[in-house]
Amino acid sequence: MNDHHEIVSSSAGVAGLYNAPTSVRMAHIAAGLKKRRAASKRLRIYGIAAICTAIGFLCILLTTIISNGYTALQQTEIAVTIDVPADEIVDANGVIDVDKSRNYNWDGLVKRSFRKAFPEVTGMLEQRSLGELLSANAGYDLRLQIEAAGTVPTGAVTYWVKSSDDVDMLMKGRMDRSIDEKKRRIKDNQLVWFDKIVAEGSVRLAFNSTFFTAADSREPESAGVLGAIVGSAMALVITVMLALPLAVMAAVYLEYFAPPGRLTDFIEVNVNNLAAVPSIVFGLLGLAVFLGFFGMPRSAPLVGGMVLALMTLPTIIIATRASIRAVPTSIRDAALGLGASPMQTALDHVLPLAAPGILTGTIIGIAQALGETAPLIMIGMVAFIVDVPTSFTDPATALPVQIFIWSDSAERAFYERASLAIMALLLFLISMNMTAVLLRRKFEKKW
Amino acid sequence: MDTSVEMMSDSKLKAQKVNVFYAEKQALFDVSLGIDEKSVTSFIGPSGCGKSTFLRCFNRMNDVIPSCRVQGQILLDDVDLNSPKIDPVLLRARVGMVFQKPNPFPKTVYENVAYGPRIHGLAANRQEMDFIVEDSLKKAGLWKEVSDRLNDQATGLSGGQQQRLCIARAIAIGPDILLMDEPCSALDPIATSIIEELISDLQSRFTILIVTHSMQQAARVSQKTAYFHLGQLIEYGDTKGIFTRPQNEQTEAYISGKIG
Repeated sequence: MNDHHEIVSSSAGVAGLYNAPTSVRMAHIAAGLKKRRAASKRLRIYGIAAICTAIGFLCILLTTIISNGYTALQQTEIAVTIDVPADEIVDANGVIDVDKSRNYNWDGLVKRSFRKAFPEVTGMLEQRSLGELLSANAGYDLRLQIEAAGTVPTGAVTYWVKSSDDVDMLMKGRMDRSIDEKKRRIKDNQLVWFDKIVAEGSVRLAFNSTFFTAADSREPESAGVLGAIVGSAMALVITVMLALPLAVMAAVYLEYFAPPGRLTDFIEVNVNNLAAVPSIVFGLLGLAVFLGFFGMPRSAPLVGGMVLALMTLPTIIIATRASIRAVPTSIRDAALGLGASPMQTALDHVLPLAAPGILTGTIIGIAQALGETAPLIMIGMVAFIVDVPTSFTDPATALPVQIFIWSDSAERAFYERASLAIMALLLFLISMNMTAVLLRRKFEKKW
Repeated sequence: MDTSVEMMSDSKLKAQKVNVFYAEKQALFDVSLGIDEKSVTSFIGPSGCGKSTFLRCFNRMNDVIPSCRVQGQILLDDVDLNSPKIDPVLLRARVGMVFQKPNPFPKTVYENVAYGPRIHGLAANRQEMDFIVEDSLKKAGLWKEVSDRLNDQATGLSGGQQQRLCIARAIAIGPDILLMDEPCSALDPIATSIIEELISDLQSRFTILIVTHSMQQAARVSQKTAYFHLGQLIEYGDTKGIFTRPQNEQTEAYISGKIG
């Protein structure tokens, strides 16, 4: 209240200036000018400071993610000389028999061959710890390698097989040798053997192609992000296919056809409220309705997409309504005046002009859906899935869920993979946004 | 008022006791008049007098405004336009409209004119469509200027050209009646005079109803003039008579510039 009184009294003072000669009035304005300039300069500095802070945080975030994750692009491999016994795998015609190959003990073969380089290691326990330098899936990888080649080479050949994740961490300098052996995952004797093979040049860092071609695995060195990317992409396809047409139809109806009244108001308020409902609630809804009532498959991208579509729907409806309203009524009048039906008016004129806005809304919604974990957890897309999904009803997981699972794992090697997966997620997002920007440019019309 | 009732008996287009409401507010009060075929009738009056509202009754554009209610009868060939049997889409194919601000679609010149015939299925093939587009543009006096720019964006034309394009677009579906809602208010004097000439040319083919703010324009282009004030039809008659010997004091005051 006090402020208010002061304003009244000071404006009464200015009234004197109001009647003063021009020179006095101008001098007064000029005197205040410096203050005003300073104020606008201050505002500009605040703005720049805010932007710099935001960019700074973004840089910190990106640096952390990249510095943690870039090493996951490489995987440590160990050279093992292996003499594959052809007669165990090949059939009468000299072709690899898949059944025989599957039943063969590849794991034993790899480990036996590896041990040959260490004749000094004899004890049962010691031999086991030596084998632990190799990936638990080394035998499986070798089998795939040989089956893909189609023929079994004669004699001893050197193969590069993946090391275990602990050796990988050691190689990348992410494991501290100086800490107490009891607290270290790699024991002293293993360190000696490791140093030996490094000295022999039998260890290398190779491009980790598995990361981009495989789905999840218990072993970090065999785990990949492709399953999650495909799962996310499938879910988003369902989301767009469901949410976009439904939302656009709903928005057109609400804007053009809905009779004004309580029911319409009620629907409008609820659409707006739905946009603010926590996403896990949509997950619960999906669990109860899609899985519980309709009995749809658990963990499927189909159901995930449907739940995410429900979540995205209000966002797209609101954006579409706003952009429909932004289309000048004169265009609508012109079409109606020519005898276009309301549907033709909407489809031929209003929606094409509203398309850029609708696209923006859709992308915001889809980006939100891409990063969403909570509703997917409710419908079981949080499962451990080792196969890349091939259909919409296959069990799958999604990128953010995969990141969540990995960052929650004990193995240090999963941690760097989580960071790399975050980069994959960001790239996914950026490429989606780029597409949206390009489409927007294409649809945008000059007035 | 007597004169208008007399003329109504053989008029093509008749309004009988038309009342229009926007929610609770009444915008038109018991307006009755008849409109001659193949002539220009202008509606004049101060802003907010209901002349545009009245014009929009003739093609039911008021339907678009949710709060708007129309009572009374508008008869076209003795059929009430407001009856639920009349499809507004069909009606608007017969009663074309040109708006205050040029509102071409943000498409090509060709597409603007072709849109109406296309949605109504008036052209069987490309040749027929080409003919309709050319003929409509010629009737709107725009053909010479745009014949080599048919595939350019219509929004790149000048304001006057855009408005003539809108007229071409309206006549491309072959209406009997053309409604013009202050068609020159957004145009410069030269473009205005071109449109006025065009209106005089079109009069032989169409029944034209024009709302205008400019009394000179009403005097120049129309045969009949109706003066509205505060939602009431004050005076209606031959344009010459209205401008030289207005019967009503209010009309006289408006025409002589004392109100308005």
